[in-house]
Amino acid sequence: MADLKDLFTAVVEMQEDTALSLTHSYLDQGIPAIDIFNCYQDALAEIGKRFEQQIYFIPELIMSGEMMKVSAEILKPYLAAQDSGSGGQTQKKLGKVLIATVEGDIHDIGKNIAAMMLELNGFDVMDIGVDVPADKIIEEAMAFGADVIGLSGLLTLAFDPMKSVVEKLKEKGLRDKVKVLIGGGQMDEQVCSYVGADAFVNDAVVGVNFIKGWLN
Amino acid sequence: MIIIGEKINGTRKAVGLAIRERDTEFIKQLALSQVQAGSHYLDVNAGTSPEREPDDMVWLVETIQETTDAPLCLDSANPKALKAALDRVVKTPLINSVSGEKQRLEGVLPLALEYKTGLILLALDDKVGIPSTCAGRMEIVDHLVGLAKDGGLEESQLYVDPLVTAISTGDKNALITYDSIKAVATAYPKAHITCGLSNISFGMPLRSLINQTFLSMCIQVGLDSAITDPNDRNLMGVMLAAEMLMGKDKYCQNYSRAYRAGRIGPKNI
Repeated sequence: MADLKDLFTAVVEMQEDTALSLTHSYLDQGIPAIDIFNCYQDALAEIGKRFEQQIYFIPELIMSGEMMKVSAEILKPYLAAQDSGSGGQTQKKLGKVLIATVEGDIHDIGKNIAAMMLELNGFDVMDIGVDVPADKIIEEAMAFGADVIGLSGLLTLAFDPMKSVVEKLKEKGLRDKVKVLIGGGQMDEQVCSYVGADAFVNDAVVGVNFIKGWLN
Repeated sequence: MIIIGEKINGTRKAVGLAIRERDTEFIKQLALSQVQAGSHYLDVNAGTSPEREPDDMVWLVETIQETTDAPLCLDSANPKALKAALDRVVKTPLINSVSGEKQRLEGVLPLALEYKTGLILLALDDKVGIPSTCAGRMEIVDHLVGLAKDGGLEESQLYVDPLVTAISTGDKNALITYDSIKAVATAYPKAHITCGLSNISFGMPLRSLINQTFLSMCIQVGLDSAITDPNDRNLMGVMLAAEMLMGKDKYCQNYSRAYRAGRIGPKNI
């Protein structure tokens, strides 16, 4: 793999223009698109680390998401063309995650960031929005073939709807088929056991790591 | 500036525990310290499950009223809990809140109209959530103000919350709030405008620096109430200074009184 250190640095340091022009110039030099794509992935992992260390904050996550999107658009045709050679590794998703804010809660910031981070990390993500009733969440998750259901909620009012999703999964005999992750500022050990979820998280980066752990 | 003290909120761990254990002294102290710091209203949010909430609200209301006669701001979406509390309040309270969400329109609004309370109106609904433009928020505000006035409330009883979304997720988000504050102030000059300010700094470091700066900028465009922590002396200092600098503090007396009482500024001078 080519040494793309300067690209890695540009992405990690949030130098949008430099990253973009390096992406183009590496492609022009004939560097395989998959190498460039992987470099972006590595940079993203580093950005996630810095977020956890509170060196970076939500704006950096969002900005890196934008850089990833732009680069993915540029790389897509090359990746498709080179795919046969690379054994289809760019198409392989790590797993399927359905994400929603539960009924009674309309907060979407946390959910949107989590969905974005999951997508950027190679998951197949289906975001079905806010204030979604339990039955609909389960129905959509089954139709989608979700490995993980991510339930988001900011309010304490969200606890009972979350619990209801888990209980309905049990009733339908589906509880073993999916992992349930709850996310939000109010989530803790106690809420997690009340809801009957597999885990709780308070931020998106931790959530991505949890799901990676489950599905790898 | 009308300050709604936010600290009696059961979603905060210590308060939740005090409610469960019926720790009267803890709640009284929390009420008293907020009043002494300059709160005009005390927000009361039990933050408990729907079955427990009516009992918890009643206990909170009665406990608080034993120690202060400050009016309350009843913070719940649960009609049963609100009704129980409304039957026990001594002074006309505020209700926090009605939005364009069906559940709140059907469950909360009729109680505000029946008891003629003050009412906080949130610029969101269950179709779009929080609109990302000033025009979208005003559409909801217009609808809600219309319903409240038609139901017999005075414009001056209304507290419009144009809503604040995190600057970390959109670098124009504060601007939407300023525009909405200006639009509400123009359309409904007698209504109050209030905000939960701290959302602005979600996901950012040094949150209090952002909160203070944002507060002064909101005051400049017409904010005249805030749901906040009155014991945050830095924030209260910024609030009083901003109001004074907007020509709303006759002979600068609110500011200098607060200074003389030791409520603002560094603690040891």
